[in-house]
Amino acid sequence: MRLPAGERLLSTEGLVVGHEGAAILPPLTITIAAGELWAVIGPNGSGKSTFVRTALGLVPPVSGAITRRPALRLAYVPQQSALDVIFPISVADFVLMGLQGPGNVTLLGGRANAARAAAALDEAGARALERRQLRDLSGGQRQRVLIARALATDADLVFLDEPTTALDATAEHEVLQLIEKLRAKRGAAVVMVTHLVEDGLERADRALLLDRDHGVARAATAAEVRALPEFARVYGRFVARGSEASP
Amino acid sequence: MNDIAASPSWHDLWANLAIFKDAIWVGALSGALLGAIGVHVVLRRMVFASSAIAQAAALGVALSFWVAALVDPSGHAAGHAAGPAAHFAPSLLFEPVLWAIAASLLATLVFVANPVHLHLTRESLLGFVFLASGAGAVIVGAKITQEAHDLEAILFGSAVVVQPGDLALVATATVLLLGGHAVLWRALLFAGYDPMGARVQGMPVRALNVFLFLSVGLSVALCTRALGALPVFAFSVLPAMTALALTARIGVVFIVATLLGAFSGVGGYVVSFKGDLPVGATQTATASALLAAALLFRFARARYERRARTTSAPRTDAA
Repeated sequence: MRLPAGERLLSTEGLVVGHEGAAILPPLTITIAAGELWAVIGPNGSGKSTFVRTALGLVPPVSGAITRRPALRLAYVPQQSALDVIFPISVADFVLMGLQGPGNVTLLGGRANAARAAAALDEAGARALERRQLRDLSGGQRQRVLIARALATDADLVFLDEPTTALDATAEHEVLQLIEKLRAKRGAAVVMVTHLVEDGLERADRALLLDRDHGVARAATAAEVRALPEFARVYGRFVARGSEASP
Repeated sequence: MNDIAASPSWHDLWANLAIFKDAIWVGALSGALLGAIGVHVVLRRMVFASSAIAQAAALGVALSFWVAALVDPSGHAAGHAAGPAAHFAPSLLFEPVLWAIAASLLATLVFVANPVHLHLTRESLLGFVFLASGAGAVIVGAKITQEAHDLEAILFGSAVVVQPGDLALVATATVLLLGGHAVLWRALLFAGYDPMGARVQGMPVRALNVFLFLSVGLSVALCTRALGALPVFAFSVLPAMTALALTARIGVVFIVATLLGAFSGVGGYVVSFKGDLPVGATQTATASALLAAALLFRFARARYERRARTTSAPRTDAA
């Protein structure tokens, strides 16, 4: 079932994130709606991961509130480096993990599950990799498979952690197109943590700029974030490049 | 009995099978149970945890002997005088298996705990458990003389026969825990491989981890009481490593590790009988030999595949 565009999926009210009760960012009030693509940007150590973990409900907020739509289905696409290469996980087995959840913990379903996983791999253009080991794939192939798992979850809201890290230009382009597909499939919202500020802001509807060192947590449309003085302070060279390109 | 000419024959083994049958079954079941659970132990990089837990279980058994002698010295001595059957039926309070389980679960708690607030790593705490348990077992062993042989058997797995009831306990644990693992293997794998993704999708990661750690603690405690700490540590690590060296299909890895664990348990016992050698050591050596053979096979296969690739022309890149 396709989500109605603009439907509220997750909203925060005065959300303060941090570690062990100590705030690292100022309060943040945002609403993530169906069909939106968000870019979470900021320098290294700016609090991006802490924000994502808090929004996902993995760590408690220091203060404030998070409201999720009832029965909201979430998916998380980890950084490639977060997956331990010692595990012999095939591409098919990895995508099958996307079908596991409270109603299907054991995944003993058999053929129906395999068919759903194969369909997700098809969508991601990774069906040919089905029998390969995830650890043996190139960075671009692996990222496609990671996104295939998110497609298999049929989630309403997908968080991606640095999906384009260490990819060449072609692979990066393919992955960004796949992220678009993730959003288009059923009107899901996508939140992408990215260090590719240009690409992120170019594609995103909305952006969240975080900078722990300067106490910045600003959310707005991508164009508005690009115009913020805080953005110029953090990403001055990108703003300069943009000015040069303008007539 | 180190004279080769005097080594027991296959006929001797067959003729005495009734005596050794229970011990062989315990070896097979323990190997199978620990082999299967060991896949998670190895993949989650908690190898040292099973060693520390086995050592703690051995200390638990030693403490049960010592405390029983302290609390009721006359009854304890009477038990010895009455013979093995009476001695191995102490009051429930001093039942070595219970002490082994308690000590194992305490050690498991250390593994579950997050010592970051103490500015320590989990591995360093496990090192503490291993060393303190090992030292404790030796010290307690020095205080008890009557069960010194039993204690040595528990520490090094040198017992040729198992205690009454051990087979029933190990068999029950094997059926229940292997059954649980057979149902939950994919869930446990997801929780170990990508815990954050699993939690986001609503998987009960904490409950799954508790099940895994409890099953490690319980199986190690029961098998340590029956076989000894050395083979238990070996079974919880080596068959899984061997299976991982032989195949990359994760479902097959669990099956192969289970079978190799059982084979090591039985094969080690047979080698012990034929060579008149300590059982725990031969079971460990059997599992080690299988791993060495698997690594050699993998090395040879990799070389062959590399050579085949370089000689095949024209070279094509994978899509």
